[in-house]
Amino acid sequence: MGLLSFGKGILFGKRWRPIEAHRDTRAHLTLNYLTFKDLITSNDEVLEIISDLEEKLQGETYFGMTYIRFRCVTAATHTYRMIANLNKLSGRRFQELPVTFSTVQKAIEEVLEKSRRRASPEGPWVLDLSEVDASMHDRVGGKSANLGEIRNRVKLPVPDGFAITTDAFRQFLEANQLTEEIRSRLVNVDLDDLDSLREASEAVKEQFQAGFVPPEVERAILAAYRRLCDTLGRSARVSVRSSAVGEDGDISFAGQYSSLLNVDRDHLLAAYKEVLAGLYTPRAIFYRSVHGIPDEDIPMGVACIAMVDAAASGVACSVNPNRPDSGTLVINGAWGLGVGTVGGSVSPDFWEVSKDADMPLVEARLGTKETSVEPLDEGGIGPVALAPAVGGAYCLTERQVRDLAYIVVAAEKHYGRPQEMEWALDKLGRFTILQCRPLRLSRFSEDSSRLPPAEIEGHRLLLTGASASNGVASGPVFRLNGIEDLAFVPDGSVVVARHSSPQIVKVMGRVAAIVTDVGATTGHMASLAREFGVPAVLDTREATTRLEAGQVVTVDASRGAVYDGRIESIVAEKPAQPKRSMKGTPVHQVLVEVCRHIVPLHLTDPRSPDFRQGACRTFHDMVRFVHEKAFEEMFRMSDRVSDADYRSVRLRERLPFELYLIDIGGGLNSPPGRSEISPGDLRSEPMRALLSGMSDPRLRWWEPKGISLAGFLSVATESLFTPTHDTAERRLGDKSYAIVAESYCNFSSRIGYHFTAVDAFCSDMLNRNYVSFRFKGGAADDLRRAKRCELIGEILRRLDFQIERGGDLINARLRKFPKETILDRLGQLGRLVVATRQLDMRMGPSAAVGWYADAFFEGNFLFEPQSPPRTAPETAP
Amino acid sequence: MRVIRLLLVDDESRYVETLSKRLTARGLYVEGVHSGKEAIAVLESRPFDVVLLDVRMPGMDGIATLREIKKIQPLVQVVLLSGNASINAAIEGMRLGAMDYLLKPADLEDVLAKVEEAFEKKGAEEARSREEKGARGR
Repeated sequence: MGLLSFGKGILFGKRWRPIEAHRDTRAHLTLNYLTFKDLITSNDEVLEIISDLEEKLQGETYFGMTYIRFRCVTAATHTYRMIANLNKLSGRRFQELPVTFSTVQKAIEEVLEKSRRRASPEGPWVLDLSEVDASMHDRVGGKSANLGEIRNRVKLPVPDGFAITTDAFRQFLEANQLTEEIRSRLVNVDLDDLDSLREASEAVKEQFQAGFVPPEVERAILAAYRRLCDTLGRSARVSVRSSAVGEDGDISFAGQYSSLLNVDRDHLLAAYKEVLAGLYTPRAIFYRSVHGIPDEDIPMGVACIAMVDAAASGVACSVNPNRPDSGTLVINGAWGLGVGTVGGSVSPDFWEVSKDADMPLVEARLGTKETSVEPLDEGGIGPVALAPAVGGAYCLTERQVRDLAYIVVAAEKHYGRPQEMEWALDKLGRFTILQCRPLRLSRFSEDSSRLPPAEIEGHRLLLTGASASNGVASGPVFRLNGIEDLAFVPDGSVVVARHSSPQIVKVMGRVAAIVTDVGATTGHMASLAREFGVPAVLDTREATTRLEAGQVVTVDASRGAVYDGRIESIVAEKPAQPKRSMKGTPVHQVLVEVCRHIVPLHLTDPRSPDFRQGACRTFHDMVRFVHEKAFEEMFRMSDRVSDADYRSVRLRERLPFELYLIDIGGGLNSPPGRSEISPGDLRSEPMRALLSGMSDPRLRWWEPKGISLAGFLSVATESLFTPTHDTAERRLGDKSYAIVAESYCNFSSRIGYHFTAVDAFCSDMLNRNYVSFRFKGGAADDLRRAKRCELIGEILRRLDFQIERGGDLINARLRKFPKETILDRLGQLGRLVVATRQLDMRMGPSAAVGWYADAFFEGNFLFEPQSPPRTAPETAP
Repeated sequence: MRVIRLLLVDDESRYVETLSKRLTARGLYVEGVHSGKEAIAVLESRPFDVVLLDVRMPGMDGIATLREIKKIQPLVQVVLLSGNASINAAIEGMRLGAMDYLLKPADLEDVLAKVEEAFEKKGAEEARSREEKGARGR
């Protein structure tokens, strides 16, 4: 046993502390397991946030301060949780980390605090719609920001108008000292009692009506109105509509706030106050309270848009919300103003249009339209009866439907996600867009923003997958079989690999696109691809089997699609210069500043001396460090238990060691009091898979086997131990432990001179699945160890593991694979654990690694030369 | 498995009521209160597994309430809820032993998953504390 305990001591480079007797109880193991699971969940959350932040840093999608604050808090919470959990797992061995964390936390808070101070209302109070785009979301609210964006950047027809800013609203609140007033009115409302709710709502609205629009704001509004009249050449009537921050964005308040139509100059300020007060309609108060959203977090902008003399109007969705995969868009419409269609009070006409090149009409349905909503001379709007001949006719011609469809598609293409729009057709037959916002597709809870892959005529859709980095590119396929192939990647090729690897960064500057079988869009490679602007489609499952080397393909990453051949029409669409609408804005600047403390990764190599807690400078560093150390802690878990403190049970199975199992939750069917169970009593799926490999009869580990003399001498001199049969007997006394739960196993073993550990979680939740494997050799001379490691590395690589090697230590990980794959790989690991036993004796220093790996996969676990051998191994029995 | 006992603390009474109804429908035992003081009173009289605690409340805020809760029932798992994203409050809460920090509006499924996770954790912590007592008694 002297050798074993020595081995234990040197395994991780430092001596192990003695463990207090009561600490490693079974409940303690369960807690460790839960703690570890927590830690992995937090790890994924932080990486997801980081990849989202990186995308936002590109400046191509809009976001506000609320977004930044939410992401910072979530990232901080999860990073903190990971550190706390690592300290729980390790017996508080990482005391420096919480200190580093605090420093980074403070730095982020300072940035956020600075931006809060900067944000005291100071104007401008009004912006002309021609000056507005999506980057001004925080200043003008969602509706105005989106209207300005499609008007000024996409050049879609949008009426003239102006945006009253959120600063104007806050100025209004401050001038009238309304904030406290409102709070006190609402604090005692019984939200369950509609009368009480109405009463409070009325009281707040009265406060708004009684309040005055601050003179500087009033002047700005009236000046903007005058400019609008000058532009139109007549006294303008406008629609005054709410444009709250968040309204068309992350949190949907659709239809919650008010709009007033056909407003003239005399009523403009009153209408403004009324729309502001719309924040406090009973249904809006109710909506916010049941969602727990504080009132003061809703800055309110107002959009004032010139009224369109509408012949017809309605709503269009760039994707059919009921059948998102159909490749069609839908339009509905009715005569007059859009109120009917939007509010749903008449049955509108309906069109479904295919989004193919010339937009053929798929379906048209006539509605029943007995009235139309029209503006009234005295202001406001009202219903007007329609003549049956008019009411019974379509409100758009087929030609007009197609024209509108082009507008809808243009907006969708600009935003890169499905859009919902309000449209109007004026009496001269011209379309205008009155509202544009992201369309929510409830069917895809996560991917609602993604465009579905479309069929493109004349080109086969070969593969679909997850988009990690948007863009379109075409090129010949280069099959990347291993990292060593990177040097041979031709410029402009589409790199196709089994799994994503950050190593691919070496060629990112010169390849057209990246496609992988597996890989997470939140992974490190994905974020690098975004940084380099290389389109990447991951998780296609079968890219390496479906795509031939040299085959020319087109990768449309925005749709997560790979097509056969080069498709000029979409490759040409790739913008030469990315639109960087958010860059340079104050909100983007804040994001840049907070990201400095969150995103960069300095700790890239776990073997480097700089991979230490004191070197962490960002949340990303801490997360990476904690993740690595947590796996190390877990590898120790089953190795350091002894059966003294557990109700462990022995497994009745023929194995080269005795296996004891400790159940921490649903891992065994074991009646209390039994000290032995059979494999049939195992419920833990990952453990069963591992065991099925270890007990594979083809392993024949019990048979005496020939060894090479050189190998024998090497082992004998290194260990002063007698090998072969003697070793086999000694093995019988060896104990290995496995900690099991229903979807989890943590196994470690010392077979021969090798230490192996497996930690795996496996369920139907693909994202949580992982297998990690660690191997540390012993005995034999350096050359043989190196050879053995090379072989194990090769076998693991063929099994899709990501590998790190240092000396004769191997760390291998497999993450986010489906359950069946995980179980299969665990079976293979089981075989590998036992088969490596044979290797020391068999593998000479110049053995052909490829031959041994082939032998392993052919089930030749004794590594006997086959006849005729493809490549003769160096030693023969 | 026994029913999860959940205490919901939020000054927004409508929020408490809606969430209580929905969580009750999913098989939880839920009690709702509207202030930190009430929460303390309830926890002094009967045991709970999980507390969902609003951070910003008039009077005794969520953080002060959390401090008291950990004195009364150290093993109860506390999940903080907040509509106002503050790193300070979140980390302070975690330091004081909160299990997690959720931002409003939170999806019901997320809340439920978090509560179940908290319950599982509480079970394991109770078991450990029993075993430790046993070890000391020996």
